[in-house]
Amino acid sequence: MIKSVQNNARALVVGALMLAGTVLSSAQAEEISYNHASMLAGSCFNCHGTDGRYGEDSIPSIAGQPAGVLLAQLIAFKRDETPNTTVMNRIAKGYTEAELEALANYFASIRD
Amino acid sequence: MKHFITNRRETLKLLGATGAVAALGSWGVPAWSNGGPGHVVVVGGGFGGATAAKYLKRYNPALQVTLVEPVERFYTCPFTNLYLGGLREFESVGHDYRELKDRYGVNVLHTTAQDIDAAAHTVTLGDGSTLRYDRLVLSPGIEIRWDALEGYGEDAAEKAPHAWKAGEQTLLLKRQLEAMDDGGVFILSAPANPFRCPPGPYERVSMVAHYLKTHKPRSKVLLLDSKDGFSKQGLFMDGWAEVYGDMIEWVSLSDDGRVVRVDADRLEVETEFGERHQAGVLNVVPPQKAGWIADRAGVTDESGWVPIKPATFESTQVSDIYVVGDATVAAPMPKSGFVANAQAKVAAMAIVSSLAEREMPPASWANTCYSIIAPGYGISVAGVYSVQDGAIAEVEGSGGISPRDADPDFRRREAEHAVGWYNAICQDTWGTRPA
Ligand SMILES: Cc1cc2nc3c(=O)[nH]c(=O)nc-3n(C[C@H](O)[C@H](O)[C@H](O)COP(=O)(O)OP(=O)(O)OC[C@H]3O[C@@H](n4cnc5c(N)ncnc54)[C@H](O)[C@@H]3O)c2cc1C
Ligand code: HEC
Repeated sequence: MIKSVQNNARALVVGALMLAGTVLSSAQAEEISYNHASMLAGSCFNCHGTDGRYGEDSIPSIAGQPAGVLLAQLIAFKRDETPNTTVMNRIAKGYTEAELEALANYFASIRD
Repeated sequence: MKHFITNRRETLKLLGATGAVAALGSWGVPAWSNGGPGHVVVVGGGFGGATAAKYLKRYNPALQVTLVEPVERFYTCPFTNLYLGGLREFESVGHDYRELKDRYGVNVLHTTAQDIDAAAHTVTLGDGSTLRYDRLVLSPGIEIRWDALEGYGEDAAEKAPHAWKAGEQTLLLKRQLEAMDDGGVFILSAPANPFRCPPGPYERVSMVAHYLKTHKPRSKVLLLDSKDGFSKQGLFMDGWAEVYGDMIEWVSLSDDGRVVRVDADRLEVETEFGERHQAGVLNVVPPQKAGWIADRAGVTDESGWVPIKPATFESTQVSDIYVVGDATVAAPMPKSGFVANAQAKVAAMAIVSSLAEREMPPASWANTCYSIIAPGYGISVAGVYSVQDGAIAEVEGSGGISPRDADPDFRRREAEHAVGWYNAICQDTWGTRPA
C-alpha cells in the first residue's frame, strides 16, 4: 500500500516539479534560516526518525531525496492531490509553501 | 555532531549545484558555530527530557549537558495499552540511555533531583550533592493528585491501579485482567481535562475489550467519564460498535458518569448522583498535576501545572528554567509524548540561542496521536502549532482527525503507521530500535 502511495506521489512529481519552479520563485524572498528549518524539521523526525532517516517500517524514509522531489510531494499533500495519503495531507497543511521548501531543502541536505 | 557542519557545506554545494541558490541564500550560520560554553541540566529522561538532552548537544556540541533520571530503563506509556490487549510484550516498550551517553556525550546521572534552588542555579541530587546550571530543563511528567478523589490514595492504587505511569502499575492491571472471571465488568474511571494523553482512556478500553472479546467474551467494559466529550469520540464510538458490538458502554458526565468516591477494597465506585458500580477489575485514571519537582522549583501555579512562555518554553515565573512535556500548560497542544518531544526541541533551540546571544527562530510544533481500536484498526488526530498573537495556536487548516468514512484499508494502514511512529519517535528520543 505504501508502495502505491510513493508511486502515486512520484507520478505527480513531474507535473509538480514545474509547479515547484513557480513556488521557488514566488517564495517572496521569505528568509528561512538553517536553524529555523531544523526546528520545522524536528516535528517530522517523530514519524520519519532523526533527520528523516528511519523508514524501516511503514513510514517512508525521506532523508537525502532530491529537494525538488520532496517539495513536489509536500505541495501535493498540502493541496490534497495525493491519493491514498492518511496523515501527510493533514500535516502539510500546517506549513506555508516557503516552509515546505525549507523542509525539502533540509531533508535533501542529509547525508551520512 | 561534526557531520552537521559537513552537512551544511554539502547543503551549500548541493543547492548551488541545483541552482536553487535563492532558496538557500539566507540560511544563517548555525547557532553552534558560536559555541558559547555553558552547562545545561535536564531533569527527567522521558519523552521531553531525553529529547532535550539530545537536541541540546545536536544544536551545540560544545555545551555540557547533564541528564538526571532515576531509572536506567525507561518504559513508555505509549503502547502499554497494546500490551494490555495482548498485542505486545511489556519489554518492547523499554528504552535505555546508551545513545545519549555514547553518541552524544550527555552526562547521564541515574538519580533523583531532590530540590532546586533557582536563585543559586543549583539542583540537589539524591546523594545530597549539587549541580550548578546555566540553564535548567524540567520534564518531570505528571504526579497523581492523591487527595483529589475520595478513597483513591496510594494504597488504593495497589488494588485499583491507575496504570497511568508505565511499570509495576501496568503489570498489575494486566495480571488483574488475566485473573478476572469471564462475565466480569472492567470499569475505567476517566478524569476531567486536562490530563496525560487525552485519547488514552479510550484506547485503553478498546484494547481491554479486544483482550476480553478474545478470552472472556461474556465480560463488559464500563467507561465512567467526568466529561461530556472526548478526543476522536466519533471515530472511537464507530469503531467500538463495529468491532465490539455493545461490549463497551460509555457513560458521560451528564449521564452521571463522574466518579466521586472509590472503595478499592470492594472494587466499587460511586458516581455524583449516588449510583454504585461493582467492578471485576477497577482502573482509576485519577486527576493529575505536574511532577513534584516543578513545585520545588517554584514554576507551578495554582492549577498545579506550569505556565510557560510560548515561544521558548521558559517558565513565566522563574528565569533560566525551561519546562516541557505533560507538566506544562500548553493547550491547545495535548499532553502527549509526541508533543513533549516537539516542545523539547524548541526549548533546546531557545537555550542554545540564548546562551549564544542569538535570536531564536520562530517556534513550530506538531502532534499526532494514533490510537489502536483493534488489531489492524488505527485512527489518528494531528495538528501543527505556532505562536500567534503571543499564544500557542493550531495553524488554521492543519491537522484534524482521520476521516469518519474511511475504508478498512485506511484503518489498517493507520494501525501500521502507529507502529512506524512508535519506532521512529523512540529512535529520535532515546536512539533505541525495536529488538
Ligand atoms: C496509557 C497511555 C498511553 C499513551 N499513549 C500515547 C501515544 O500513543 N502517543 C503519545 O504521543 N503519547 C501517549 N501518551 C502520553 C505520554 O506518555 C506522555 O505525554 C509523555 O510521557 C510525556 O513526556 P514527559 O517527558 O512530560 O514525561 P515522562 O515521559 O513521564 O517522563 C518524566 C520522567 O521524569 C522523571 N522524573 C520525574 N521527577 C524526577 C526528579 N525529581 N528527578 C529526576 N527525574 C525525575 C521520571 O522518572 C520520568 O522518567 C500515553 C500515556 C498513557 C498513560
Ligand atoms: C504522524 C506521522 C508523520 C509525521 C509527523 C510526518 N510524516 Fe511524512 N509521512 C508519514 C506517512 C504515514 C507517510 C505516507 C503517506 C501518508 O500515509 O500520508 C508520509 C510520507 C511523507 C512523504 C512522501 C515520501 C514518499 O516517498 O512517498 C514526505 C516527503 C514526507 N512524509 C515528509 C514529511 C515532512 C517534511 C514532515 C514534517 C513537516 C513529515 N513528513 C511529518 C507520516 C508522518
